[in-house]
Amino acid sequence: MKRVAKSGMGVPPMGSAVAWASRPWIGGRTFAATAALLLTGCHPGHRQSALHTAAEASGEIARLWWAMFIVLTLSFIFVMALTWIAIRRRPRADDSPTTTVRWQNRFVIFGGIAFPTAVLTWMLLDSLGTSRALRQPPEGLRIEVVGYQWWWDVRYPEHDLAIANEIYIPAGEPVVIDLGAADVIHSFWVPNLHGKVDMFPDYPTRIVLRADRPGRWRGQCAEFCGRQHAWMAFEVVALPREEFDAWLAERAAARAAITAAPPPASEAIARGKDIFFRESCHTCHPVHGTPADSLIGPDLTHLGTRLTLGAGRIANTDENLARWIIDPQGLKPGNLMPETPLDDAELSDLVAYLRSLR
Amino acid sequence: MKTADDAQLAAFDARWRSPRGWLGFFTEVNNQQLGVRFMVTSLIFFAIGGFLALLMRIQLTVPENDFMGPQLYNELFTLHGSTMMFLFAVPFLEGLALYVLPLMIGSRDVAFPRLTAFSYWTYLFGGLIFYASLLTGTPPDAGWFAYTPLSGPGFAGLGMDFWVMGLALVEIAGLAAGVEIVVTILKLRAPGMSLRRLPMLAWTLLVSGAMMIFAFSVLLVATLLLELDRAAGFAFFDPDRGGSSLLWQHLFWFFGHPEVYIMFLPATGIVSTLVTTAARRPLAAYPLVAMAVVVTGFVSFGLWMHHMYATGLPELGLSFFAAASLMIGVASGIQIFAWIATLWGSRPRITVPFLYVLGFFFNFVLGGFTGVMVAVVPFDWQVHDTFFIVAHFHYVLIGGVVFPVFAALHYWLPKVTGRLQNERLGRWGFWLNFAGCNLTFFPMHIMGFLGLARRVYTYPEELQIGGYNIVSTLGAFLMAAGFVAIVVDLLRSVRRGPAAGDNPWDTGTLDGSMSSPPPIYSFLRPPVVRSREPLWGPVKHKAGEPALEEEALSERASAALHAAPSDWRATLATDAITGRPSGVQVLAEPSLSPLLSALGLTLAFVGVLLKSYLLIPLGLVLAVSFLARWMYPSSDYNRKVYSSGLAERSGLPVLLEGARSCSWWGMLCFVGIAGSAFVALFFCYFYLWLFAESWPPPDAAPPDPLRGAIAHAPLLLAAGAAWLAKRRLAAPGFSAARGPLLLLSAALAFTVLQLGLGSFELATLPFSPRDHSYGSSVWVMLMVVLTFSLTAALLLACSLARARRIEPWDLTPLRLQLQLTTMFVLLTALAAAGTYAVVHLAPRLL
Repeated sequence: MKRVAKSGMGVPPMGSAVAWASRPWIGGRTFAATAALLLTGCHPGHRQSALHTAAEASGEIARLWWAMFIVLTLSFIFVMALTWIAIRRRPRADDSPTTTVRWQNRFVIFGGIAFPTAVLTWMLLDSLGTSRALRQPPEGLRIEVVGYQWWWDVRYPEHDLAIANEIYIPAGEPVVIDLGAADVIHSFWVPNLHGKVDMFPDYPTRIVLRADRPGRWRGQCAEFCGRQHAWMAFEVVALPREEFDAWLAERAAARAAITAAPPPASEAIARGKDIFFRESCHTCHPVHGTPADSLIGPDLTHLGTRLTLGAGRIANTDENLARWIIDPQGLKPGNLMPETPLDDAELSDLVAYLRSLR
Repeated sequence: MKTADDAQLAAFDARWRSPRGWLGFFTEVNNQQLGVRFMVTSLIFFAIGGFLALLMRIQLTVPENDFMGPQLYNELFTLHGSTMMFLFAVPFLEGLALYVLPLMIGSRDVAFPRLTAFSYWTYLFGGLIFYASLLTGTPPDAGWFAYTPLSGPGFAGLGMDFWVMGLALVEIAGLAAGVEIVVTILKLRAPGMSLRRLPMLAWTLLVSGAMMIFAFSVLLVATLLLELDRAAGFAFFDPDRGGSSLLWQHLFWFFGHPEVYIMFLPATGIVSTLVTTAARRPLAAYPLVAMAVVVTGFVSFGLWMHHMYATGLPELGLSFFAAASLMIGVASGIQIFAWIATLWGSRPRITVPFLYVLGFFFNFVLGGFTGVMVAVVPFDWQVHDTFFIVAHFHYVLIGGVVFPVFAALHYWLPKVTGRLQNERLGRWGFWLNFAGCNLTFFPMHIMGFLGLARRVYTYPEELQIGGYNIVSTLGAFLMAAGFVAIVVDLLRSVRRGPAAGDNPWDTGTLDGSMSSPPPIYSFLRPPVVRSREPLWGPVKHKAGEPALEEEALSERASAALHAAPSDWRATLATDAITGRPSGVQVLAEPSLSPLLSALGLTLAFVGVLLKSYLLIPLGLVLAVSFLARWMYPSSDYNRKVYSSGLAERSGLPVLLEGARSCSWWGMLCFVGIAGSAFVALFFCYFYLWLFAESWPPPDAAPPDPLRGAIAHAPLLLAAGAAWLAKRRLAAPGFSAARGPLLLLSAALAFTVLQLGLGSFELATLPFSPRDHSYGSSVWVMLMVVLTFSLTAALLLACSLARARRIEPWDLTPLRLQLQLTTMFVLLTALAAAGTYAVVHLAPRLL
């Protein structure tokens, strides 16, 4: 309980895996261990790439791509070369109309039927093989992800945990993600880990992810879903199992702390909480253990540990959070959140309260 | 003698002359005039769509650009995609078909000249409605494939209504053009032009026209259902009321995938034509290529799931679609290798149109290869809805359609204007377009791999694709410059190009035998065809070719129609398969009715759009009355044709009925349209059922089978009566009209009875179409049967009115009218029976 309160004041707790895993990752003060992990784990620059893979599934697909790329590039060169020869070549002296017709028919049957059939059959077989390799039994940690215009509701039903716009998973283990949508069709896509699966308001879909190693990747909605489709992103963070368990434990501890309703760690946080309810933030955003329970916007119970704001729009820092509260429409036009006019003191109190929710 | 000839020529000329004055512009029905209008209008839309694309490219040049906001960007790509797919590509090819097809197959006009005009006006008005959304400041913003629920009433505003209603008009224009093209190719070929002598462009247009008939009718159903959801609160696509969010995707892609081939097949026809001309020899492996075209047409209807791999559907089904996609790959392979074999060693002259053909080879093969890649299910899971797909379909559509369109533009422009273009400017245009296209779209493959999703108005710097985007934007401007070069060249050549001569490319098809520009009636004397490339000299007869006595028949018919008839417009009709002359087909003359009935339809659609429900019946009545006026046969006209003596001179019937008449084939196409619309409705019903928890929903009882049987059975009786009336009239030695009169009256009475009973049933349904998708689908099916019934009643009433007094010259036209009416009544009865089985029986039996 004490640790939670300390975190709420913005003092980073040091020295434990639990502590570093729970810190915001963007913000400049990342630990050396984390940096090393990410640098060796994957190319830090391509956190949303189908070719810089970090999972067996995406790796299989990338392998299939490179195989097709090589075979079809050679075929392309072959066809272009034939075309070039066809228009440059001189007619042979012994070309009579009958032999030409016979030759032409053979040429078309071999080149136009046999050759593509061979290439395409190989592709079909390789594709079926890849599909088989990608098949995963739906066993492992269960996560529910629901797409909203334009953010992601993320729940761990076995752990009574609700977060938003980021998914923490244990590395090296399969996780079963049940997908749905609240309004229109969205699509769940983390290219470094797997292909995409659409999310529907009227029937469930599912994807099994398994990151080979710890790391952090960016995912994005891939089905056009309205005005802010571009900024409907999320983060996937794969942690080693023990760190993941510690992360879960810390979230549970934070929730338990809220339920126990201790005196606020500071005046500012207390004032900020009042402002949160006064300004009706709670009519859209749930916060565990408080009267705020209507899910129209993202669950803010663990907002303090959130990596980004506005579903990948900006990094979650004190200043950015203040900007977001004052001017959500300027940062992400069309989203449901109205502007909340506050003076500087009130704003900093509200930010202090929200950042204390870890 | 000479003066008599001159007089006849002058009279013939006058008969075909375009109507003059400003009113003449609106009454024009000639295929050449309207073909040019189609092409010019579609090129203007192309320029607009291209301009929108440039704006989008500017926005995407650098990450987190603030050149424009998300709303505008979403509107731009919606307008860009819809414009290019619906207002440019298909209409341009329709225009090209209207202009070139009669020249190539030796006809004086297309089969239904007034339908051509109707098609043009509905297309134009549809496009205008579409862009009228700019005036209200609410352009559509749900993407060109408008996925529900995003395009539904809960999420999209007025702009979507503009999109739906504009699109519906354009679809009707497309359906009309499809019928036009199919019937023209089947019935109006030059004598001697059997299917095996059909130019490859005509083959591709035939398949593409048939595909339009099926695909556009399904899309029409889909868009009208969407509008019912939006305007009337129906529940087809609303998950909260038993609707399905995925149903729209099935319907849309059942149209959308064939749509790609509807555009692509005629483009390959253009390439076949140009390759043949450039090589100066017949197309290699002609039967294989024709077969590949037909196979592509068929298989493309089994591919729609291609676009839905990521929807979590069972994998086994997806594999089937992947295999079908690969079949298309083989069919395309046949075409490409046939072109290479044709060109092999022919030392073609590299003209500007041929450069575009070579550009097509490069871009299309590349786009085709990425196409077979995305048919591979697991790979598609990664690249679906990313810029890889954007790159892929732009390679296919620009490389595979726009390049052949530009090739056609350069190739046939001298024929249209009679003037040659500037070679230098043409080459500049080509190289700018070729370089621009590749610079714009090649980097997009890589961007897609690096995580750039489709339809995003911006992207974070973190993706590290800024550099590719700069190249891409540069390429887009090069392409724009290329298009400007083409337009400048075009305008320059129209004003002061050198004379083209009759056959500037030395082509072997009949269009090369015309002067440039061709006379408005195309052929003074219908040509007789003895080989696939008639201008390259006749070939010797082989076994299985039409025998010599048939050729004598052809020559006689052709001579009889030399500068004749001059009292009405006519062309030779031939057998659909063998190309044997089978009659003299009357062609319609200029009329204001197509425009007015298109206007009526537009008015009704605007009424839906503005929710001013008085306009809808008003517009529909206007449309139907002018439609009737335009088609109502005149007895004087029949007498003129009957007593002209042309039948004796040509040895062919001049008043046609049955399969000899274009109208009969047109009606057959209409049956295809209506049939696929009904199948689409049945599909919706069963699809919704499949995913429903209970069907019908617990609070709605299915309509009573007995009442339903009573309400629908009269149509079966009506169909029987109409069929007997038709038979009675066809019997030899027919004299008095009393038999058919009684039977027709009975058919009419039964139909009216059904209208009454059916309306009563609809009005007293125990559920509302707004409560649940079950009610919506039942209501729509019953309503459509009633609409058909009403139409059948009108047609029967018309036939009855005509049958009351029959002059000898009216007998054949009346027979035809009864044949068509019977076809329609039979269709209505069949639709009613199907609907009865689906609505009344299925929920109780299954």
